[in-house]
Amino acid sequence: MSVSVPKGITPEIIEVRKNGDSEAMRAQTGHSVSPDHNLTPQTMCPAFGSLRVLTRIDGVQIAMVTDTGCLYGLTFVTHFYAARKSIAAPAFGTRELVAGNVAEAAIASCVEASKTPGTKLVAAISLCVAETAGLTEEMLPPTINGVDVVLVRVPAYAIHSHPEAKDVAINALLKRYAPPRTEVTEAGVEKPLTYDGSNADEEEMRRKVIMLGEVFPADPISVDAVLKRIGSGLLANLPSRNLEDYKVARRVGAIAAVHPFYTGSVATLRAAGVPIISGAPVGPEASYNWIKSIGAALKLDAAVVEQVAREEREKCEAIIRQFPLRGRIHVCGYEGNELLYARLLVEAGAEVPYISTSIQKTVHTAADEAWLRARGTREVVYQKTLEQDIRALDTYRPDLVLGTTPLSAEAKQRGIPAMYYTNMLSVRPLFLSAGLAGTIQLIREALERAPRYEWMRAFFEGERPAPPPVPVDTAN
Amino acid sequence: MTLPETLQAVPAGGKQHAPIELIRDLESTSGYWAAVWTMCTMPDVHLICDAPIGCFNLVATAVPDYTDAIPHIHNITPSVMREQEVTMLGTAGAVRRAVEALRRQHPDKEIIVVSTAESEMISSDHSDWLSRLDPPVPFFWSRSLEGDEWEGRDRVLLWLWERFGRDRAAPPPAEVARMVNIIGPTYGCFNSPADLHELKRLIEGAGGKVNLVYPFEATLKDTPRLAHSAVNVVMYREFGEPLAQALGKPYLFAPMGIRETTEFIQKLGDLLGTREQAEAFIAREKRTTLAPLWDLWRGPQGDWFATTDFAVVAGRTYTEGLVRLLADELGMKLHFASGRPRRPGEMDNIQIRETLHRKQPAFLFGSLNEKIYLTEAQAKATHFIHAAFPGAVVRRALGTPFMGYSGVVYVVQKIVNRYYELVFNFLPFDNVAASGQLRDAPNPLAAANKLTWSEAARAQLEQHLEGVPWISRISAMRELRAQVEVYAVRHGIAVVTPDVVEQALAVTK
Repeated sequence: MSVSVPKGITPEIIEVRKNGDSEAMRAQTGHSVSPDHNLTPQTMCPAFGSLRVLTRIDGVQIAMVTDTGCLYGLTFVTHFYAARKSIAAPAFGTRELVAGNVAEAAIASCVEASKTPGTKLVAAISLCVAETAGLTEEMLPPTINGVDVVLVRVPAYAIHSHPEAKDVAINALLKRYAPPRTEVTEAGVEKPLTYDGSNADEEEMRRKVIMLGEVFPADPISVDAVLKRIGSGLLANLPSRNLEDYKVARRVGAIAAVHPFYTGSVATLRAAGVPIISGAPVGPEASYNWIKSIGAALKLDAAVVEQVAREEREKCEAIIRQFPLRGRIHVCGYEGNELLYARLLVEAGAEVPYISTSIQKTVHTAADEAWLRARGTREVVYQKTLEQDIRALDTYRPDLVLGTTPLSAEAKQRGIPAMYYTNMLSVRPLFLSAGLAGTIQLIREALERAPRYEWMRAFFEGERPAPPPVPVDTAN
Repeated sequence: MTLPETLQAVPAGGKQHAPIELIRDLESTSGYWAAVWTMCTMPDVHLICDAPIGCFNLVATAVPDYTDAIPHIHNITPSVMREQEVTMLGTAGAVRRAVEALRRQHPDKEIIVVSTAESEMISSDHSDWLSRLDPPVPFFWSRSLEGDEWEGRDRVLLWLWERFGRDRAAPPPAEVARMVNIIGPTYGCFNSPADLHELKRLIEGAGGKVNLVYPFEATLKDTPRLAHSAVNVVMYREFGEPLAQALGKPYLFAPMGIRETTEFIQKLGDLLGTREQAEAFIAREKRTTLAPLWDLWRGPQGDWFATTDFAVVAGRTYTEGLVRLLADELGMKLHFASGRPRRPGEMDNIQIRETLHRKQPAFLFGSLNEKIYLTEAQAKATHFIHAAFPGAVVRRALGTPFMGYSGVVYVVQKIVNRYYELVFNFLPFDNVAASGQLRDAPNPLAAANKLTWSEAARAQLEQHLEGVPWISRISAMRELRAQVEVYAVRHGIAVVTPDVVEQALAVTK
């Protein structure tokens, strides 16, 4: 076993603290994470994003190429959060690596996966150790026993969050099932197929929208209803449980990328010539703008679009007048759609000084971030760590935290109402006026539960210690 | 499970390789997980896992949220391996950064660095430079690419004893002749709080005194105290025995079933010199804790056991224990059992899946994997009872043991109550919510008395009752017969033949 300390890194410089510091340290922090370092990125295992999307598609079976511990954990979360589907894998350890039969192992598990009756596609999920061992696309056959095989490469060391791994999975399917189509001209030249409006079916398709972003199943219904009123309609919502939906993605008039992290899929579709609309119909203003954008992209009747957009905005405003929010809320999920929720809360009257997410900052997050900063948001943290989120509790002292499980636990330990963002918010509609009421109601009720959180804290933790005099450097 | 020959015949680069072993829905994990689950139970330890973010998240948050019912394991921090660490830099810099920060944050804790499959993949062995720090930082090579969870659990327990216990042993306390250690429970041990509670009760009943529950109720600083016992009790057959052997004292395994629990108490009494107290305890238990079993055995419920079958897929301890209790002692029929770690001849998940698709037992003790196979088979009459991880299930209540006398009663109570549930679900009922429709619709069975059943058809129908427990067969038979007769009447069939039975039940399945 080689010792791999690279040159220039001298471990001897680690300073040794005397034990005397411990009491002072303990008095300053009630929690177990480092107060001045950002050590613990917050995301599910990134690969889970791909597994969630893929296992939920009818007719898709999974072959996972990875080590035992990884396989155990990812199978567990897939069976808890994604689908009741058996998962095939090869044994993959030193023995197989030394023998050099990585590709054979991957193929063998694909064969096993393809045996399930009704299988249309086997997704071979290549994870950290398989990627490090060098499993490549060329090593896998495109079909096995008549079943399509797609390699989805999601090493956690290269893809830093699980929302972004959803994009990897969808992009792999789009590249396989919605490649740019070509036509041969009369002169015998092959060129990208252009739409000339002569085909009635194409004409119909070009008025439709596909929404890109995992949403609660009621949202596509309300979106479709509004789109139909302006002369369009929702053809599908990706990620979809229907493999066919991926095949028609490049034929629609516009893709509404309602979540900001589908950068790869958006690039693939844009290259195929499909207009992309970013942003989502969340809250009065964004709903109005979103409907208008769709209308413009599809060149629909401007007067009708304006009327429908206004009506939707008024409905949203009426709901907010009826159920206004008061309070300071931290939005700290790791799903990649935190900015959308924050917008809704701000428009409903809440104060949202701090927002954090697992995804990286992209051109698709810019508009929402600018909008939020103009309305009082002080910090928006991308690729966040647990330590940053905890320091923000000290800085802004929120009334409610929508967080990851470790952060929510920390907030509850301080007697602050908190919810696990992923479980509680993704099980409710969000879009347009139809999605507004339920989400606002959930937040209002959570804010009202504050005394219960304090009672429970006091019961288990006893009298509160003096508040920690922690100076916080938020510039980190 | 090996590959079909056609595939094995396609070697890469012309080389013939060893057959590839296939897995479905893993039931045990790696040495890395074993190390985290073992060491992080001790509050004076803080682990640094040399890992990409995924390996950290799964073991520290995503899984223990739903197995151990904790918000997250708080005393572990990842080195956070990214692409540059994997391809160019190596992970020493990332580990160093974490060590520095955590030493400042937790000066009282023992910082331990543990390897993962991915760090082993790129040969990131930090033992040398970590050992040269002052004070040195221990490095645990978890062998995650080679061994399995069970081997990993044994290795980390021995490592902890050798590194933090053996050479630091202090003089023993006065009462050492009655002291008993319990070796075994960690995070990720199914139902361990309740089993541990029962085990302590049995040890005290037999005249012993619990010294150290290692590692679950210990600190790292307690490790030398492992030396201070007269007897060690190893909680699980699947791991922990090598540590008991290293400790050099007599050891017993935690018991399941009536006979084994009785023998456990007696042997412990012998080893501690408290046999008389142990016998008195057993006599008292028969009149108290165990009395419900004697009552159920003599009551109508006792008759059901012999006509009911079950299967077990669980850890070695639970598999053997449940077979002993349910098959050997109560006389239930064993459909199949497969323990973990698997022994030669025991079914793997691929074979278990096929077996369950063909025939399902009345009771299945298992993990989420078997529950999925039952779902795939659309098994409606099988009662699934959690008896192993993986699976999202809270097992933190102290009153749900499988081990000891309390475990006997809890398991039997669970089975009988599930049985009541089954009976309830098979009883006929009026669909009151839709009763209007029921009255208006012509009843096709009014014409059924004109039907003739062939002898073969009747036999055929009875075969369909195979999967249904005896107690519910009256209701089930009535239901199946009605299905066939409705089908026959609707299709104008006068004589019910085996073919008609098959067609009718295929349609209504």
